[in-house]
Amino acid sequence: MSALVLVPLLPLLTVALVLIGRGASCERLARWGAVPVVAAFFGAVATLILIASRGAVTIRFYEAAAPASPAFPIGFHFDRLSAVMMVLITAIGTIIYLYSVRYMQQERGYARFLALMMLTVSMLLCMVASANLVMLFVFWQLVTVQLYLLANRHEHRPTLDGAFKMLTLLRTADLVFLAGIVLAYGLYGTIEFRELADRAAAAPVMLTLWPGVIEIRGATAVTLLLFVGAMGKSVQFPLHLWMPVSLYAPTPVSALMHAGLVNAGGFLINRLAPLYGLSDTTLHLVFLVGIVTVVSGACLMLVQGDIKNTLGFSTIGQMGYMIMECGLGAFALAVFHLIAHGLFKATAFLNCGHVIHRARREPVLPHAPHTTGEHDLQRLTWATGFVTTLLLPLVILLATHGLLDMPLLDSQGTVVFLFFTWITSSQAILTLTRLRAVASWKVSTAMLGTLGLVVFTYLFAAETFTHFLYPDPADVARYFQAAALPGRLFDGLVGGTVVVTIVGWICLYAQTQGRVMRMPAWLEDLRLRLYVPLLNRFYLDMLYARLGHGVMRLANDVDKRAAGRVP
Amino acid sequence: MDAALFPVWLAAVPLAGAAAGLSFRSRIRALQTWTLLVSLAPLPMLLAMADQLRGTSWSPWLLGLLPVAAFVSVLAQTVHQESRSALPMTLVLLGLGLGALVAGGGLGVLLQAALLGSLAALLYCHRHIPGAVPWGGIAALAVGLAGLVVAWLASPPMSTLALLAASATLLPLAPVHGGYVAAFRGLPGNLPAFSAVLLPAVGFHDLLMLMPDLSAEMLRVPAMLALAGAIFGSLKALTQSRVRLIVAYAGLSLFAILWWYIAATGSAPPQATVYLLAVGLVTSGFLLAWHAVQARYGEVDLRAIRGLAYPMPRFSTFVFLLALAAIGLPPFGVYAGFMGMLLTPSLPLTAALAVIIGTLLAACWYVLGLAQQLLFGGHRSDLRYRDLYPAETASLALIIVLLLALGVLPPRLLDSGAPAASGHATEPFTWTR
Repeated sequence: MSALVLVPLLPLLTVALVLIGRGASCERLARWGAVPVVAAFFGAVATLILIASRGAVTIRFYEAAAPASPAFPIGFHFDRLSAVMMVLITAIGTIIYLYSVRYMQQERGYARFLALMMLTVSMLLCMVASANLVMLFVFWQLVTVQLYLLANRHEHRPTLDGAFKMLTLLRTADLVFLAGIVLAYGLYGTIEFRELADRAAAAPVMLTLWPGVIEIRGATAVTLLLFVGAMGKSVQFPLHLWMPVSLYAPTPVSALMHAGLVNAGGFLINRLAPLYGLSDTTLHLVFLVGIVTVVSGACLMLVQGDIKNTLGFSTIGQMGYMIMECGLGAFALAVFHLIAHGLFKATAFLNCGHVIHRARREPVLPHAPHTTGEHDLQRLTWATGFVTTLLLPLVILLATHGLLDMPLLDSQGTVVFLFFTWITSSQAILTLTRLRAVASWKVSTAMLGTLGLVVFTYLFAAETFTHFLYPDPADVARYFQAAALPGRLFDGLVGGTVVVTIVGWICLYAQTQGRVMRMPAWLEDLRLRLYVPLLNRFYLDMLYARLGHGVMRLANDVDKRAAGRVP
Repeated sequence: MDAALFPVWLAAVPLAGAAAGLSFRSRIRALQTWTLLVSLAPLPMLLAMADQLRGTSWSPWLLGLLPVAAFVSVLAQTVHQESRSALPMTLVLLGLGLGALVAGGGLGVLLQAALLGSLAALLYCHRHIPGAVPWGGIAALAVGLAGLVVAWLASPPMSTLALLAASATLLPLAPVHGGYVAAFRGLPGNLPAFSAVLLPAVGFHDLLMLMPDLSAEMLRVPAMLALAGAIFGSLKALTQSRVRLIVAYAGLSLFAILWWYIAATGSAPPQATVYLLAVGLVTSGFLLAWHAVQARYGEVDLRAIRGLAYPMPRFSTFVFLLALAAIGLPPFGVYAGFMGMLLTPSLPLTAALAVIIGTLLAACWYVLGLAQQLLFGGHRSDLRYRDLYPAETASLALIIVLLLALGVLPPRLLDSGAPAASGHATEPFTWTR
């Protein structure tokens, strides 16, 4: 069992191989460096199978009750969650490494770049396999540094400024994370994950911030502080601004970031799910932050003018989605989401890197003609999509009641799963409306197939994957219960989103039929007015810059006043 | 060796070495070699007396770091006529410092007073160094000297307060930090790099000796001064464009964290010692690295030099590692000490923690800004770049190794056995349970 510790450390062999090479041997050694990375992937898969059959394994190199060195309590904890994450990280790491070996050839700093990438992969593996909060934090911080180094192109001024901003934002979030750890240790006297939650549940603590005015539960204070740390890595509003500036980095780096690194926040919340389950306040705030991030990320994506920025803001929206799922108590769904998103986004980034590379060699790219003509879709296609979108909830309702025996009306969580299923399939069908209808039956069949795939996948996520990650149904129910929103608010949110989706269908249909949709003047005006703030990313960059200038002005004031009086 | 005479021998060997080195003063290279050898001479003595040192405020491992710090600072020193006086003075300060740490009673006070007096004299003699700020520094050192005199002559609690003031001039605490800052700017040659470790170590030793006599009321003022000093040091560091001053104020703000911790908890666990030495080594390392730049390009403003990453890869690697260590990242000693202090059960959960963590965040800003300015960006075509020489490489490598060792070694190895204070400062904004 101790051999499991080797899995996170295998990519370090690649680092060593790449760094010892010089000149032509560097590229040869880089190719050989793929062997340990692939071995790490197979090791992660083997770990997953082992853990699934035998249960969690914890390997500690310290005394849990009284660590000799509280700053470095080295230990590894392999459970289902960490095993799943390790498979994801090694899979993406392997693909990106193999891609980078060719993509980054002839580039200055080739060996350094590959070494940093694999060092990052190793640190991510150690982070997800950490046995306690402090060790997780150690690797959490090291990943921040790796991000800074990877995203930094030495001689490019905008990159330098962006990298510094990125590090400042992430470090701010990291230090709030640290405050959460200190508070957790101060209140509950432990840094072990399970014990922390058990002690928090067994002995609830109230903190008096302002006597008689502000009181807060200990679990809420701790989870809030830890969540701010998660917000930084998972690009949540308003700490998401480091993402756009990191896009100057080489494409494989972007792929690793968007597919691997940004999942750290979702992983952290899952790892501490028992603790988060004790604080409904934090979960509601998590939900709110998630929603705001989804909306802002999606809106910002719409005004971008290049591939990488579009994908970058898409990631922000998707991470908002993931955090929102955590805020609803659907922790397993969030993990499922981040896996699917990671694979999808890595593909998208690596493909865009390929396109950019080709465009450099073939100056006529992109040559696909822009079509501004209306989509010519048959009524049958529309009818299929429309009816399935509207009837789908009823079908799922009957299926889940009958087949899966899920108490629908008792649980907001179940409604959450169904709602996401419906939204996803609707979105997939809406996307399919961009297909040119060669034969409407083909498109309709594709729609139904997509529908079936989405329904099956979500039900799989709802039932099997949740059961895999959280075998005790009581825990799952407790998380949903903790995250439950007030009834009317929840119904309003669900109903409102349903209405928006259906209205979107109607508008799209009317557009393609050549009909003019009468929009109120204020709505048209609003669209135009929102464009400039969106282009300026809601002026958050300006706000942060002003904050920085304000601090510097204060510092200069202090310096002037102290001159001649205090050294 | 007689245990009673050990402090005398420990101080005498480097002092005698400094005197003997005067015969080499016309041959600078020979003088440098002699200084290197003599600076390591106390190490075998410390090892031989390891058993007798147990139960005192310092373990031999920690005392041994002072000769190593002296050695490293001299090793990285470029041989130059202007630094001729710095080499024997390194040995003088080493002897006085070691003696002050190990000796008790009147001898310890005498040696520490001699240390402060020597620093003040050096600042005065080299007041013409460009950018030196000697008068504030000399005044602060005078306060320290006065404190020592009062502590020797008066009785408690006056003597306790006087010694507390004296320790604050060495382990810098605003507003008597002038001597510490002036040492970085106004001392010649390698002395700033060595002072960065020596002065805080002696000040910390004084503080440890005072612990049993410090009541809660006495600690309240240092606690508040520490918070003010952390903010002041951070703001000052942000505005500087001279590397030595950035490093000096960084040291002020980082040591303020240590002051606050000791005042707030009334204790100095091994993690505090780890933190102290790590911060001292980091500031020393930065000064050594900057010395390498100065040796090549003169006393340049930070804004005038950039893009050293590619033409000077060894230098860049060390500077970046020092930056990571300074901002409290693992696996270095600053992180281990800082985390170790925060994860003690006696730490009060107060609003002051926000200031402490904010200080570390500010350090990230100006330290990484410094590193980024030096290392990245387009390099200048009018400069001829030359990477570190072997001696410079060895000295910076040793600093990094020591920082790593402080980071990963179990703190119990560094346990000083220091007694706790009789009370600890209570703060107005405490999160009550």
